[in-house]
Order: sequence, then C-alpha cells, then structure tokens
Amino acid sequence: MKKLFQLEKIKTLSYPAFKTLMIIHFLLFFLVVLVVSRIHFSIPGFSVKGLYQFPNIWEFFPWVASWFNLFLAIVVILLVGNEFSFRTFRQNVVNGLSRNDLISGKLIMIVTIAVYTFLMVLLAILIFGMVYTNGITFTIVFEKSYLILIYFIQAIGYMTIGMFIALVFRNNALSIIMFLLYFAIIEPVIRLIFKAEARRFFPAKIISNLTPTPEFLTMTSEKSFTSSSGKSSLDFQEIGLIPESLSLDLTVIMAVGFIGFFIALSYFITNKRNL
Amino acid sequence: MEKVVEINHLSKSYGKILAINNISFTVNRGEVYGILGPNGSGKTTTLSVILDILKAHSGHYRWFDKPMDKFTRRRIGSLIETPNFYPYLSLWENLKIVAKIKDAPEEDVNYALGVSNLLKRKHSPYNTLSLGMKQRLAIASVLVGNPEVLVLDEPTNGLDPEGFAEVRNIIQSQANEGKTIILASHILDEVEKVCSHVAILKSGEVIANGKVGELLTTDDMVYIQSERMEDLEPMLQQTNFVKKVFKSDKDLAVVLESGYSATDLNKYCFEKGFTLSKVLLKKQSLEDQFLQLVK
Repeated sequence: MKKLFQLEKIKTLSYPAFKTLMIIHFLLFFLVVLVVSRIHFSIPGFSVKGLYQFPNIWEFFPWVASWFNLFLAIVVILLVGNEFSFRTFRQNVVNGLSRNDLISGKLIMIVTIAVYTFLMVLLAILIFGMVYTNGITFTIVFEKSYLILIYFIQAIGYMTIGMFIALVFRNNALSIIMFLLYFAIIEPVIRLIFKAEARRFFPAKIISNLTPTPEFLTMTSEKSFTSSSGKSSLDFQEIGLIPESLSLDLTVIMAVGFIGFFIALSYFITNKRNL
Repeated sequence: MEKVVEINHLSKSYGKILAINNISFTVNRGEVYGILGPNGSGKTTTLSVILDILKAHSGHYRWFDKPMDKFTRRRIGSLIETPNFYPYLSLWENLKIVAKIKDAPEEDVNYALGVSNLLKRKHSPYNTLSLGMKQRLAIASVLVGNPEVLVLDEPTNGLDPEGFAEVRNIIQSQANEGKTIILASHILDEVEKVCSHVAILKSGEVIANGKVGELLTTDDMVYIQSERMEDLEPMLQQTNFVKKVFKSDKDLAVVLESGYSATDLNKYCFEKGFTLSKVLLKKQSLEDQFLQLVK
C-alpha cells in the first residue's frame, strides 16, 4: 500500500491540472464562506451569523463544501482518464503492477483527497466556529460533529463514481460529460419512472443527500405541503421543498453500499477488459 | 534447458479479424529470440498477450514454468509498441515510477539513463524529448531493475543510424550478460545480427522457426539466366536435385539439395539444351528466406 501511495503521489502532485483544480476548490470554498459571513439581512427568527456558530456550522460548512465535490470528481476522472490516454495503465501492468493494483492505487488517491478536503473543512469549521460562537462549551462545539465524517463519505462517493465512469469511457472529456449528465439528467429522469418511495434509493440521490440542506434553510412544516391536491409529500421532497424522510443512518449505510458497489465494478471491468 | 516462456496454441481475435492463430513456440534461457513478420502479422499482439495486456481467446502461455503474475512481470523488462510515459513528469520521475513498481533501487535509474545516454536530460519533462530520445528512454526503462528477460517490440523505431547501432550494442551486451531477449522486428538485418533464434510470422501464424544459423545455412541460392527462361523453369521444377525454383527479377533463383553445386546445375542445364548466360551463387540471407516464406 505504501508503494502504491508513493506511486500515486509522484504522478498526482506533478500534474498541473491537479494543482489548479485543488487550488480552485480551496479558494471557492473559502470565498463562499467568507462572502456569506459578510451578508446582512433581516428575516425574523433567522440570522446568517447563526450559520457560523456551533453546532449549526457542522451542517452548513459540509453543505457548502459539497457543492464543490464536482471538482474533486473531475480531478479523479482526469487522473484515471490520463492513464488510458497516456497508456500508462498498460505500461504499469507490463512493468509489474497487477490490474487490481491499478484500482487500489486510485482508491488510495481518492481517500487521500477526501482526507485533505475533510481537514480543510474541519479547520474552517473550527476557526469560524470559535470566532462566531459565544459561550463555547465542549458539548456545543462537538454536537453534530459527526456530520463532517458524513461529508468525508460523500466526497469519496462522488470521486468513486467519477473513477468508475472514467474506467468505462476511458476518455477525459466524455467521462466528465457523462458524469455531469448522470447527476443532472440521467438519474433524475430514470427516477421519474419509479414510484416516489423508490426514487430515494438511487446512488446519486443517496450520495447527494448525505449533506442535506441545513434544517434552518428548509421549510419546517411538512404539513403545509400535504395535500389538497392529493400529491404525496414525497413528490415535494423530489424538488427539495421539504426534508427527506430517509433517516441519516440509512442514507449513510446505503451510500457506503453504493461506494462498495462502484469499487467492485471498477475492479471487475479493469480485470476483464483489454488495457 | 530452462524454459523462460512457453507459448501453446495461442489465438486472439479483434472482432472478426483473427490476429494470431495457433501460435506456439518456446524461448529458453539465454537465447536472443527474434520474432519476424511484416506489418500486421501478429508480432505485437503475440507479445501483448504473453505480457497480459491483451486476453487471448484460446491457448495458454507460461513464464518460468508458471502462470503470469505481478512478481513474474518484475523479472521482465518490456517495451511494447510506442513508449508510454507520463508526459508532464521528468525522465527521472518516469523511471522512478518504474523502479518503484519493480522494487528496484533508485541507483538503477541512473544506470539505465547512463546506458541510454540520457543522464544530462534526466530532469527534462518527457514531452520535451525528440522521438529518438523517447525511444532511448523506453529502452532505459526496460533495463531498470536488472530484469532477467527483455521483451523488445521494434526497439529501433524512430532512431537514426547511430541510435540503431547503440540499441544493437545494448542488446548484445545484455545478451552477453546472460539475459534472455525476445526481439520483435521487421528489420531483418537487426534480427540477423543479434538473434540466435527466430520465429517468422505471417498472417498471425508461425510459418517457420528455429536457429538463425540453421535458417541461413541450409539453402544456398543459385541465380541463373538463359535465353529460354520460360522453358527452363518448368524443366528445373521436375529435376530431383532442385529443391525450389522461383522467379527473382530477371533471374531464376534455384535452391539445390545438399551435396549439389552450381557447377552441377550448369552442367545439367547444358545437357538439357540450355546455355546459361549467368550463374551466380549466393548464400541465402534471412531476408531472402523471409521474403520467400511470406510471399
């Protein structure tokens, strides 16, 4: 494992697009949180400053960071796609890596990137939280801190799907397009074929729901949306108007399951197809 | 003799196209084994299959008398088709990756770059190299880890005559160190000069294999001309000491059975009423043999 990590480190740190995308990811996240912290508006019962206080910040910052998971997925797509463009996957097998090692190396890289982004968000939470929260206690600080671990799982989820798509299409541009299309159009359209209850169990839906819209930004009264028209409340969940009814525990378990599924598929197709 | 690689009845298709069909041969330790064939004859496909880049549809192969695995691969240094490196990494970094994969020390990288005359450029990005330098880096990468076997697919691609000579010297020096070398090439001169054994491929099949020395010395060729060439050829085809006769430009090329000389042929033709205006004895080169075989 150490060897695979060292190999990926040599390949990744020197790749110009990697450095560019990770810098953009870092800057965008901090730009957003800084800009929002400067916003002042009055809504009864709501304060922007509240978003930056413990424990709400544990929901807000991972939710913001989740917007930029796309950059992380694109980084992984590029790094995997390059191995086919440069034919270095093939050369690495010829030199002595097994086909499984190729995927294991990329997984190590995915986890490393996820750890980086986890630490970035954690550091931001601790700094902003300490600044904006009055009356800091251990309980207040670490209540809901588990949510950042869930964000870590989400980052891995996006990157794993990106890796799988790159392994299928083997072309950077096509893979990025297919990744975006899958999340934006393909899965949403497929979901519409199914009943409302079943729509919650698709991979993109599950993974994106790991960091749901923070409670204080959503309408809290579900009853307002049931129906005089007879529509199921689950349809309103589809357009994000009311909170999902799947528990977070179940969502996490299913997300981990889907991550495992895509990883297994990645190993399978790498072993079956010509390099 | 220890078998390095044993290939049995290997076949591989690309869709409806049968790239290699029932390929079998064995390479023993210490041999410099050439795989010759025209473009599209299956040389690269054969090497790609036995290096586990491609999957065969039938047949099997064994390296060092066992199935291929990643530990076996580390005993082999390979160059297949065009060199494959990370263009944004330097020469040093690219070979460092090879060294890490093979669990070889970093000193091997300097050695390999030195042998290929690339030490001065070791920190240059790969994508700044000329074609010839890229090919030399590919040869350098094959030497990292001091592998027991070298598999080289068209190693002189893109090289100038000086580069040709360098590669030939590298191959010969590695062979002198006891390494087993498998060399695929369409350049017969290269194979003739460095290889001890050769397999000739045509349309995905092995049509001849054996020691280069045997293929070269078995048949001498006599080139003859006469006024009545159209009658001479059928006459010679019926002659019992003529192994083979075929047209070669304006001459007839005649391969004699062993024990018969050009003088015997001239005398026989005269007795049959043919006066030969040209009688030229030529030791058949591998090129002649090869061209004959692949026609």
